[in-house]
Amino acid sequence: MLIYTLVGAGLALLLGLANSSMRRLMIAGSVGLIITFFTLPFGQVSGFLSRETVRPTLFGFLPIYPLFSLILVAALLSLAISLRGRRIGGTASLTAGLTTLILALSWAERPTSLASLLPLYGLMEAVTGIAATAIIVGISWGIPRARLPGLLIGIALGTTIFFGLTSNSGQAIFPKTPGYYKLLTSTPSGTETSIIESYNSGLEELNRQRRSIGLNLLEPITTITGLEGQRIPREAAEAGFRLVEPNRTAYGTTVTFLLIGLMVGGGLMAIWRPRLQDRADLSTGTLLAIIICTLTPAFAATNFSFNRLVEGWPFLLDFLDRAWPPNVGALQEVASQMLITIEIALVGTFLAAVFAVPLSFLASRNLTFGNPLMRAVFGLTRGFFNLDRGIDTLILALVFVAAVGLGPFAGVLAMAIHSIADLGKVYSESIENVDRGPIEALEAVGASGTNVVRWAILPQVGPLFIAWTLYRFEINFRVSIVLGLVGAGGIGFFIQEKMGTGTYNQMIVAILAIILVVNIIDFASSWLRGRLV
Amino acid sequence: MLSFVIEVNNLSKTFPDGTEALKNVTVTIPDGDFVAIIGLSGAGKSTFLRCLNRLVEPTQGEIRAHGTDVISLRGRALQRYRRTIGFIFQQFNLVTRLSVIENVLSGRLGYHATWRGVLGLYTERDVELARHYIDRVGLNEKEQTRVDQLSGGQQQRVAIARAMTQEPQLILADEPMASLDPRLSDVILGLLKDYNEEHGVTVLVNIHVLELAKRYAKRILAFNKGELVFDGPVEALSDTLEGEIYTGSLEAL
Repeated sequence: MLIYTLVGAGLALLLGLANSSMRRLMIAGSVGLIITFFTLPFGQVSGFLSRETVRPTLFGFLPIYPLFSLILVAALLSLAISLRGRRIGGTASLTAGLTTLILALSWAERPTSLASLLPLYGLMEAVTGIAATAIIVGISWGIPRARLPGLLIGIALGTTIFFGLTSNSGQAIFPKTPGYYKLLTSTPSGTETSIIESYNSGLEELNRQRRSIGLNLLEPITTITGLEGQRIPREAAEAGFRLVEPNRTAYGTTVTFLLIGLMVGGGLMAIWRPRLQDRADLSTGTLLAIIICTLTPAFAATNFSFNRLVEGWPFLLDFLDRAWPPNVGALQEVASQMLITIEIALVGTFLAAVFAVPLSFLASRNLTFGNPLMRAVFGLTRGFFNLDRGIDTLILALVFVAAVGLGPFAGVLAMAIHSIADLGKVYSESIENVDRGPIEALEAVGASGTNVVRWAILPQVGPLFIAWTLYRFEINFRVSIVLGLVGAGGIGFFIQEKMGTGTYNQMIVAILAIILVVNIIDFASSWLRGRLV
Repeated sequence: MLSFVIEVNNLSKTFPDGTEALKNVTVTIPDGDFVAIIGLSGAGKSTFLRCLNRLVEPTQGEIRAHGTDVISLRGRALQRYRRTIGFIFQQFNLVTRLSVIENVLSGRLGYHATWRGVLGLYTERDVELARHYIDRVGLNEKEQTRVDQLSGGQQQRVAIARAMTQEPQLILADEPMASLDPRLSDVILGLLKDYNEEHGVTVLVNIHVLELAKRYAKRILAFNKGELVFDGPVEALSDTLEGEIYTGSLEAL
């Protein structure tokens, strides 16, 4: 974990040498620490089943380790003082960083212990409700006329959400776990002994089973520390007890150590070069803190790990080894599959354009504001576009594969339907941006509405339509490669097939062909578009 | 040729943002006149012209063009009325991606059924007219040229040919020289003046250059802050009045 502190401090050093504001980093560290304190998990405590594992925040650990309150105090003080900047700010940040570091390290040295869960009922429900209220009020606040209704609707919605989600039995639909946010409190006296007894009494039976499958036998334990790395008995877990092993970390721990680095590094640099500060430090620092506190959970959720990449590296080399040299014999098949892929893109884009052109006129604000009926048509068309744009080609393809079976037809249908909305939207935006002059001129000669569209609007938007369609074809070609993977035929299907049978030297031919064709099509299309517009 | 007398009564226009562009304008323009409309920008000249062919909807008042109540015209009837009026814009308002002849022919769209227009099925007479007026404005070499290849002055001549091809009974020109090299003003106004004299068609031109207005027009209308403040022959425009129109200090009148 200390490596993250070094990373943070190193970053601060580099930025400091580049004359970037150090106060910003100190504020980011303090604000980030405050956010982390309440929201990011700092450790893992386990029960009997793996799903009984709880990841409490620093705030959650507070009842069993009250010293953590010093972290919050330090962060708040550091924020308040580092706002003043200069050496004093640097000193505050450095002190707060070191305090947090000492507390975090001393926590990790604590022995394994037992704690009991204290769910904070209604907290997450309240947060959800308040967030909903804040969003509605925030949106409506910008429009003076909508302020009061926005406030009322927001409060009503928030309250509804709060009461809708909260239930007396503690079994809400969302968040499902009763009292999603949990604190850990110390256990009543005697709990430890009873858990140790219950563990030891079940040991004989357990060891009999372990012997039968050839595992080493477990010793009876005398203190709770003996349970380290194991789980606590089922009854104890069900009663709300958890095993606290301070050396088990979560991503909040990573963030904490990184922020410590920023605070210590930034503080030291600020003491050395106190002029490194900027006017907008509070807002940029807060933004930085929010980014750090959002990105880290995302990295944790995606199981990001350099280790696994390093471990997997030999497999990658093995793949390349088996794929090389490419099997030129596959060229014929690759070419014909590539042709199918291009053809799916051609037909899909063409069909989409055919339907999108008339629809785009109905979805143009400047052509439809004349009467209420047309405005309704405008709303409907735009609504359809937005709905359709939300459903990706791949998802549509899965549905159509189910409906019309495997093969290019499903891909073409999916592509056409998704592209109608995309093309329709850009077409109608082109129509909305036409020069008003010619429209006015043709109205002035007494031309009918249809003729105004034909002679004033079409000549202006025609080339744009073609350019957009070409651009969409470029995208659709790449989409159509991936479509093969869900069974819509073409080069993607070929790749999947060869991957399945392990004939990597044929697969590599397809990959090389894709690189080549993608570049040719992009180049040709942008050249054509450049000439058109 | 039918007489095309325009009678305007109490015409007012207030835009949605509250701007009063025209205030109670009453004027009669006899057939065959060449009228220059002068005034500062924002005085209501342009709005006045646009009301005459209903590109702008008046808020109140009455417009009669050879007897027809212009304000009540709707749909097809409005299109029939508009085709008798050629309108020339400051910014030409041509479809620059189309050729000269296509632009000029579009002046005939008001005379045909919609489907013929959509398909571009112009009659032989339409094409003859278009060629005649392209020739007339001196662009016979450029008939098939795309408009975006032409200079500003040439583009405005295309727009004039388009208006003339309508065989209008009235020509409204809204600052036709304002976007052009001042030396081209005589070309543009000369074309309009000749057309006026040959066909006896009324021409109303917005001009902000007083010298030009005096040189070409028989009659002058002067606007200030939406009000018609002078209506009379060129000779009646005294120097003091001129000064006041252009300094905007007409409260003194």
